[in-house]
Amino acid sequence: MTQPARRQPFALSVLLGAILLSGQAMAAVSDQDILQDPKNPGQIVTNGLGVQGQRYSPLDTLNVDNVKDLRPVWAFSFGGEKQRGQQAQPMVKDGVMYLTGSYSRVFAVDARTGKKLWQYDARLPDDIRPCCDVINRGVALYGDLVFFGTLDAKLVALNKDTGKVVWSKRVADHKEGYSISAAPLVINGKLITGVAGGEFGVVGKIEAYDPKNGDLLWTRPTVEGHMGYVYKDGKAVENGISGGEAGKTWPGDLWKTGGAAPWLGGYYDPETNLLLFGTGNPAPWNSHLRPGDNLYSSSRLALNPDDGTIKWHFQSTPHDGWDYDGVNELVSFNYTEGGKEIKAAATADRNGFFYVLDRTNGKFIRGFPFVDKITWATGLDKNGRPIYNEASRPGAPGSEAKGTSVFVAPAFLGAKNWMPMAYNRDTGLFYVPSNEWGMDMWNEGIAYKKGAAFLGAGFTIKPLNEDYIGVLRAIDPVSGKEVWRHKNYAPLWGGVLTTKGNLVFTGTPEGFLQAFNAKTGEKVWEFQTGSGVLGSPITWDMDGEQYVSVVSGWGGAVPLWGGEVAKRIKDFNQGGMLWTFKLPKELVAKH
Amino acid sequence: MRLFAVVLGLVLLCCHTAQAQVRSYDQMIAAGEIKVAVYKDFAPYSFEDGATPRGVDVELAQALAEALGVRLKLIWAPAGEKLDDDLRDYIWRGSPLHHHQLADLMLRAPYDHDYAQRRNDQGELENGQVVMFGPYQNEQWQVAYDRRRLDKVASVAVFQQHPIGVEVDSVPSFYLTSVFNGQLAASTQHYPSVTQAFAAMRAGKVDAVMAMRGEIDWQVQQAHDPQLALAENAYPNMGRQRWEIGMAVHESNRQLAYAVEEALEGLIRDGRLQAIYRHYGLRYEVPDMYQ
Repeated sequence: MTQPARRQPFALSVLLGAILLSGQAMAAVSDQDILQDPKNPGQIVTNGLGVQGQRYSPLDTLNVDNVKDLRPVWAFSFGGEKQRGQQAQPMVKDGVMYLTGSYSRVFAVDARTGKKLWQYDARLPDDIRPCCDVINRGVALYGDLVFFGTLDAKLVALNKDTGKVVWSKRVADHKEGYSISAAPLVINGKLITGVAGGEFGVVGKIEAYDPKNGDLLWTRPTVEGHMGYVYKDGKAVENGISGGEAGKTWPGDLWKTGGAAPWLGGYYDPETNLLLFGTGNPAPWNSHLRPGDNLYSSSRLALNPDDGTIKWHFQSTPHDGWDYDGVNELVSFNYTEGGKEIKAAATADRNGFFYVLDRTNGKFIRGFPFVDKITWATGLDKNGRPIYNEASRPGAPGSEAKGTSVFVAPAFLGAKNWMPMAYNRDTGLFYVPSNEWGMDMWNEGIAYKKGAAFLGAGFTIKPLNEDYIGVLRAIDPVSGKEVWRHKNYAPLWGGVLTTKGNLVFTGTPEGFLQAFNAKTGEKVWEFQTGSGVLGSPITWDMDGEQYVSVVSGWGGAVPLWGGEVAKRIKDFNQGGMLWTFKLPKELVAKH
Repeated sequence: MRLFAVVLGLVLLCCHTAQAQVRSYDQMIAAGEIKVAVYKDFAPYSFEDGATPRGVDVELAQALAEALGVRLKLIWAPAGEKLDDDLRDYIWRGSPLHHHQLADLMLRAPYDHDYAQRRNDQGELENGQVVMFGPYQNEQWQVAYDRRRLDKVASVAVFQQHPIGVEVDSVPSFYLTSVFNGQLAASTQHYPSVTQAFAAMRAGKVDAVMAMRGEIDWQVQQAHDPQLALAENAYPNMGRQRWEIGMAVHESNRQLAYAVEEALEGLIRDGRLQAIYRHYGLRYEVPDMYQ
């Protein structure tokens, strides 16, 4: 019984490989492919399993009853000594998997066998300054090209069959502190990316490029006061200042260096034709130097994909003083209330609140805490604006001695960080990878920078509980209730996937890929991948069988911090591996 | 995350094979070459003039190498978010982004007992892997202004009316945007570098520039403009106004520190170091230790 089951995939792959080689067209990825992605489970051509980023698969071959028979079919090592955090979501098209690894590497792998088809290694300059490990979060596919962003802030287009560079374009100057780690997306024939920037002095921006040749089509700065442009025949045409004019929500000229980098990329809602992006924290770090809301830092932005015009914004943390980036994904979903269909969008913010917005206009519908402890705000007002607890704001800089330390929860790494949540249309629940931690923050009197006295911030992250930091939560976006939770000792840092088979998948830093019953939270399957799982799992159908893939490789932002959190993770080994699982056909029948 | 993240940078978690090796004094002498880390693009201390390395720290490094009887190899270090990052990347752990290359010696580390003794929340010395020694310069904040637009700087209050340029993410920026409840914030103009702030003053966009004294002295000397003046105002409510600059080596390499200290003292006592400073238009005071 087991012998034929093992052989079959190999035989199938040979057979299908032959069919493919004998002339079946390898279709280029079209706009339709991208928009239909969630409905075509034979391929994954978007980051988020659909442009809305719901990470929901309509496949139900694999379910809570048979998931125990899900088994690895192949694994692929990224190789080299560059084993750092692996945070990509793979894509699958025509039996080929496309994904990225640490240090701006791209791989194309035969999805049936795990055989490497090609690899592209970006040549990185010495002076790149990535924020949080040398990670990358994946590619975009369009036409015959594979796109990704590099740590030195370039967009690169590769031929999908050869991995050869078709074009490469500098989005921003890495010497100024810019980089790209998020997956770009292609909407209506435009390749769209944000930028990451870790240095004081950067200004965030979202840009669209022509996927064919890398020509810039529009640029939209994410800080109030900066002009946006559209490009016509190579000429820049003014398209309005972000926020109307400079200085409305910033003092002095600080808007010129305001930060607000949209470093996690974004998603798209076809029903409203809006790009939905989040923005990072404002600069400088100390909020006392920049009284005002500091738009559009720590915000969600809705943009017209044709020209980058901002249609609405929602600022989750105005006048941020805790590094609560507002980059977390805004996931579009519809629900019915009082007989009316609501076009909503939800986001689980770094700041600990879960927000449900009307995605047609950005209006606040409701918000509630999704972690157990929030100290920086006592709640949200009717417009979703935080009611601050001023005692939780770090003090003004300037004194020689170490300033008063304040304890704040969540920690700046966030109640939820970059790792994307998933929305299941059957259960109506969001599955949110969250962390329960706080931090002590203080101003540092004795610090230096480049041969000069400096005013730094001191901080240390503290777990709130002895036995866990990570909590995978099932959250009802309508009632605001938590339906179930699953605790994890180390902080969660991997993306989530949910399926029509009543399953939720996510990984842990301890190295497990785990599956849960979407309704009850019962853990129904797990597999040890050998290193921490920070990637976002996918599932797809190939040759009539349901597959699951995820990358494994510990790293990312968490290990960069010391203190008590470091003790929980110091023994985790690094890695760089792509794992693929399937439920063999004959075992589906068994159940 | 972005701001805080850079503060700590990349931690090398495992991979002992890739970890940088600290050279002992004997290995360094045997190799006939000392690797000295200096900041990149940091005039007048260390910068490249075309392809020629120039600056006070470059010349000091050269003089020290000669005194030790070895060749000089410069390692150009882009400044990190904080000095701790630079010490980590160039003195004790190395960075995977720079092939884990370590310097034997790093210049322009502060000579500050409190800083060297700072401890983290676990009670460990934050810079315990590093020895900071050999003070060779006093540093302080300084304002330069253009007399055509500003008579004198009686106090920093004049910058309510007169725009002043500063480098982003610097103490002058923090100070001028926060002092007197932010009353000077509106006239504080930010530039990516002191050089650009100075250029803005020359172009009439700001009336003054606040930066490190060495940077100001150098810019004033370069400008050859008698209308530029150095202010002598006080800086109320400012924390550290003066500090000493020294060097750093790995804590296992004290033998090198002793040899460098001896060579440095010679350069200070016979006036050669002062001549180097004068060459760049910089004032020089012999640090307290040698008086």
